[in-house]
Amino acid sequence: MRHQIEGVDFAVDEHIWGHRLYDEQLPHLAVLEFLGILGSNADSPLIATPTDRVRYRPQRQIRLRGLLFNNPYVESVRERAIPDDDKWKTWKELFADDATGLGDDDMDYLRQAFLSFDDFAKAIELLRSSAFEARSNKRWSSKFVFPFGPDALYEDLRVDSKGASNDRRFFARTGELLYLMLSRAARGPELGQKLIERLFDSKAPMNRLVKALQGEPQFAHDARDVGYLPYASHPRFDRLCEDWLAILSRDMPIYDALEHLIVSAGLNLLMYFLECAKKQSGDAEPVEIVCEIVSRERTKVRALSGDSYQTNQALSLRAVRAAVEQIKLTDGWADAVGSEDPEGECAKLMRDCFQWPPAEGEYERLSGDALVRELAEKAESRHEQHFGKIHAAWSRAIGLSSRRLARRTRYAPNDRLLKTLVVTIVDERMQFDEFLQEARRRYGLVIGDSEGAHLVREKQVDQEALSENRGNLETRLVGLGLVRRLSDSCSFVENPFGSKGDE
Amino acid sequence: MNGSLPDGQDASSPPASAWVRFLRSYGPTPNNANLFDEYVTGALGRAKVQPITLTSPQLDKMKQRVASGALGSILIAGTAGDGKTYHCRSLWVSLGGNSQDWSDPAPVKRLSLPDGRRVVFVKDLSELNDVQSDEALGLLERSVLGSEDSEFLVVAANHGQILERLRDIGLRQNRVNPLRKPIQDAFLLSGQVPERLAIYDLSRTSHRQSLEEVLQGVAGHPEWKNCVKCPLQSAGRVCPIFENRERLLGTKDDRQFARKLGDLVEVARLNGWHLPVRDLLALASNMILGHRDAREGLMACADVARFQDAGITERGSLYDNVFGANLPRRRALDRPVFRALASFGIGEETSNGADGLLVYGADDVKLADAFSRLVGSDPIYGATPSYLAAQQRYLEGEEAARLDDGAADFLGRLEAQRRRLFFTLPETETAYPFWWMTAFRFAGDYLDMTTALAERKPVNETVRARIVRGLNRVMTGLLIENTDRIFVASSGGFTQSKVSVLCDTEAPARRVGGIGMSIKLDTQTERPMLDVALAQGSSGSVTFSLSPVRFEFLCRVDEGYLPGSFSNECLEDMLAFKAKLLRKAELLRALRQDEDEDEPGAQEGTLTLSFIEIEQNGHGFSRPVTVRIGL
Repeated sequence: MRHQIEGVDFAVDEHIWGHRLYDEQLPHLAVLEFLGILGSNADSPLIATPTDRVRYRPQRQIRLRGLLFNNPYVESVRERAIPDDDKWKTWKELFADDATGLGDDDMDYLRQAFLSFDDFAKAIELLRSSAFEARSNKRWSSKFVFPFGPDALYEDLRVDSKGASNDRRFFARTGELLYLMLSRAARGPELGQKLIERLFDSKAPMNRLVKALQGEPQFAHDARDVGYLPYASHPRFDRLCEDWLAILSRDMPIYDALEHLIVSAGLNLLMYFLECAKKQSGDAEPVEIVCEIVSRERTKVRALSGDSYQTNQALSLRAVRAAVEQIKLTDGWADAVGSEDPEGECAKLMRDCFQWPPAEGEYERLSGDALVRELAEKAESRHEQHFGKIHAAWSRAIGLSSRRLARRTRYAPNDRLLKTLVVTIVDERMQFDEFLQEARRRYGLVIGDSEGAHLVREKQVDQEALSENRGNLETRLVGLGLVRRLSDSCSFVENPFGSKGDE
Repeated sequence: MNGSLPDGQDASSPPASAWVRFLRSYGPTPNNANLFDEYVTGALGRAKVQPITLTSPQLDKMKQRVASGALGSILIAGTAGDGKTYHCRSLWVSLGGNSQDWSDPAPVKRLSLPDGRRVVFVKDLSELNDVQSDEALGLLERSVLGSEDSEFLVVAANHGQILERLRDIGLRQNRVNPLRKPIQDAFLLSGQVPERLAIYDLSRTSHRQSLEEVLQGVAGHPEWKNCVKCPLQSAGRVCPIFENRERLLGTKDDRQFARKLGDLVEVARLNGWHLPVRDLLALASNMILGHRDAREGLMACADVARFQDAGITERGSLYDNVFGANLPRRRALDRPVFRALASFGIGEETSNGADGLLVYGADDVKLADAFSRLVGSDPIYGATPSYLAAQQRYLEGEEAARLDDGAADFLGRLEAQRRRLFFTLPETETAYPFWWMTAFRFAGDYLDMTTALAERKPVNETVRARIVRGLNRVMTGLLIENTDRIFVASSGGFTQSKVSVLCDTEAPARRVGGIGMSIKLDTQTERPMLDVALAQGSSGSVTFSLSPVRFEFLCRVDEGYLPGSFSNECLEDMLAFKAKLLRKAELLRALRQDEDEDEPGAQEGTLTLSFIEIEQNGHGFSRPVTVRIGL
């Protein structure tokens, strides 16, 4: 019998991708959730076999997040021409009005920590300036301070009159799956150790500042289990892990590396999503992402990259239908159909596989075929609500897809993604064509004529258009300071943060 | 200008026409086959003129190496037009090879040396098929890394080809070819080349020097002496070909044109442009022979009388030709040399002063002196009758000039005049600095700084202050004026943030006791380099190579504005530099922390953050904010 997943009406997507990937949990939120789990397992980071039960007890840091995101008065109080004492007093009253009562009643310790109210206000301003989505209109309890260190991590929460609860709005277990993926990668433990060393330095100045605001950490009431990941190992897990190790080895501040870790996680999670979908529907071809490199002039690759986007967008829905219908191809199904109670046996088989149909109710006497039809429809319609939006949401979030200068969405990587690709792929320097090959091998990115040779053969695009596309990338990378041209025929992609980068 | 020629003179074949035709074939025509070594010999025979000779210091070195009996092989690398085939053939001939054999189409040639060694010549690696190529590269490897002493390879290839071939053979042999990395490093000027491999990278030769040679070889060519007796040059006639050549030689103005062109080429080189000799020859030919109304944009002697009679001599001005303005835009931009020169924006860039002079100078009493000195003095390409007439029409606002595009003629002429001014403004005209006619307003300072560093002299203090201010403004995103120290600032989070108010570390703006910034010359790139040391010792510093465009960027940031056209690339470079400084500071802090571990310091309970704040006068300072922790 398959792994049982709690709290779902049926389990289809969950067995293809895990429980669960979630469209609204954008890559930075997945990484933040991941860091929380890592912090909770700091004594054995990313050390867990596929059969181990991974648990964690997240931090809540109600005081810290309240000070940063539920505290609009600091600025106005600071600007008042009143004595320091009065500022503190005024602010305290204002803050108390909105306080949650979850450990944020007594904020007097702040007066001990800061020499003046103005200093306190400056610290708040500094932390807000680097926070994620500080200016968005999300609820304050879903805004996050930059993960400066162990004290800056906390989980997404819903806070109302009933208290604080984890409603899985933005921390929907994708970070948990990220944790499982990395712990199932061959070099997971090595990565875990590195992350702890670099990101969990409690003595880092910014972490100490955060700690001064938060005081002692506040935790969730109890520890919890992480979600379900169907694969004990997967080439994508290893790719992700290798990419992260490469990024961490670069000669750059850890807070800058974090940006690349997030994009890299997004890209690899997206690849995982597409690869699993293909596999489920029996498609053995590797995932392909044809990218238009946007330049001043309109390019012929645009239509092709739009098609490529549409093709990939359709993969997951096809996988869901296939996952349900494939049960009819099993020996068990043939046995059930031929048994004395075909309806009952088929339903039992379905239940073992998909936790559906419920033992009693409207589906009780449906034929096997009808059950499969019914579930396929239900699964498709549920899929479209969230799982089906993952490709669109994540590819946009990491800067892979865009509608810039066009009506339809297509793959058109932005500068930030290109930078992450260079930082990840290139140790020091690499010939430009090798870089393109490697981007194709790792992430299915088709940019130049050599990577897209089969498209040319199939007459989907002419060679010139793709080689122009490749030229546009070269120009873009020159503009980003990432390519050095040796001569017309020869250019090198250079990682400015390579261990021996010379410029 | 006079309409007819003196009696008895034949205008159809002026005395230097064969030479001019030969020179014309070097120009940027759509089909300038003459510029390939393979064709030069034939063309010379037909024109019956002496060849344009350029010295080749690299060739002498190659000959010396073979003569010395040094073991191992020779790689002649370069880009298209650098003269790889020329060098390869010349070496062949000098070693006793037969010219006839060379012309033979076989791509691989063999020769025995008097010392008993055999040489295999490959004049162009790209002509070899896989089998031939594997064989050649096998010999290369054996003779360089193995013990093959009796046979060696002389191979010419462009950079990409040889690296690709080495990669392909590696893939076929399921290994990494051991020569690939050292050759790649040699091309990129990092790392050591194996002792038994001599790489002559023709793209490395100094451009200013090559340009000098080409100008000398072309403008100083003996065939020009025939022009002295040319009727197109007599009786008040001005032949644009001869005029351009004279200005290129610069006998009257101390070679001002050639010097400034040399400056441009030097700045372009330091910005990473490579200008092959073939391009420089095309440039020289175009400068002398270019004319907007000539066939393919290049004059022959037969065109001259016609242009003189039509009064359009000025449309062959070398100040336009140098930027390829005589050519269709696409054809000009096909050539790196015109692309490189176009990057200076000369003709589009200007200063208010210069434009005031060019537009109002003829009429304005205050400007009249300067106008006659700087423009009026040149009736051929400066204050020509048609320029003055167009200027009048523009100023008096004739009806035609008020229509859309009505001023286009004058504005086009204005561009030409700006180009001319760049080349003719003397350095003594402080009111009209000629670098202001380019997109690189500070290029003069840049070249001075480079020269000073090469001569081990100190960098000009004003320039130094500009660099520091520019650096500080990029680092912090704040308009601060400090020139005494460099703020290594962070925003707390990502380095990319626009404003960074947190001062991570400060370093003195000049090196004191092993800490602070010093400006040095990077001997490999020949560019100045900023070297900011946050701690003593070589591991405590981060360097930043200062190309002309980066220097320009810093100077303009210092002036208070970011130039949109080239800011993105530079900003990215600067942010990467800043990130590396922050990383260095991070590492140093961790090191100190480890050292301090034994003794709990006074720091334990407090944290000090330094916020950068600005005084009224723009002076930035860091204000410490102390936070008590763990109370």
